[in-house]
Amino acid sequence: MENKITWETDMKTALARARKEGKHIFLDFFNPG
Amino acid sequence: MDAVTYPNAEVVKFIQGNTIPLRVPFDAKPLSLKFNIKWTPTLIVLDPDGKERHRIVGFVSAEEMIPSLLLGIGKSYFERDQFSEALMRIERLLKEYPKSSSASEAIYLKGVCQYKGTHNPKPLREAYERLKAEYPESEWTKRAYPYRLIN
Repeated sequence: MENKITWETDMKTALARARKEGKHIFLDFFNPG
Repeated sequence: MDAVTYPNAEVVKFIQGNTIPLRVPFDAKPLSLKFNIKWTPTLIVLDPDGKERHRIVGFVSAEEMIPSLLLGIGKSYFERDQFSEALMRIERLLKEYPKSSSASEAIYLKGVCQYKGTHNPKPLREAYERLKAEYPESEWTKRAYPYRLIN
């Protein structure tokens, strides 16, 4: 596994995956600087 | 987070394997308004229907990230009355991360889950006794204080 988190950037896509895969969403509001 | 926590191999493995990671800028509307974001980082566990179940504001170290997520996912299952699923996450947290700052809340939640699942109040008292012994200064020990009276 690549040693890097592969982030979704769109809530709609994340929700669709969460429902399909039965997982929780880990949502990070960050400061891109 | 980018310098220390997220590059950690165990953190990557846990997040990729157990969650759908979603990252958005703190000022991205409408999400920032919906979740009332005031500071960064704000880290939220959402259930598969998108409902907020757990929130952390501020930096989280690599050592605390996995137990915090286990607690958040456990709380989510608890709030949806899926007690055995909740207990799986809580027991993993307590077994693998007993010294984490999430552990005392996990002990409290374990007692409550066991009570809700069986209606046997004994686990509530056991939770208090364990909290008193292992985390005497914890907020969760204070919250469990009434359970000392359970026989």
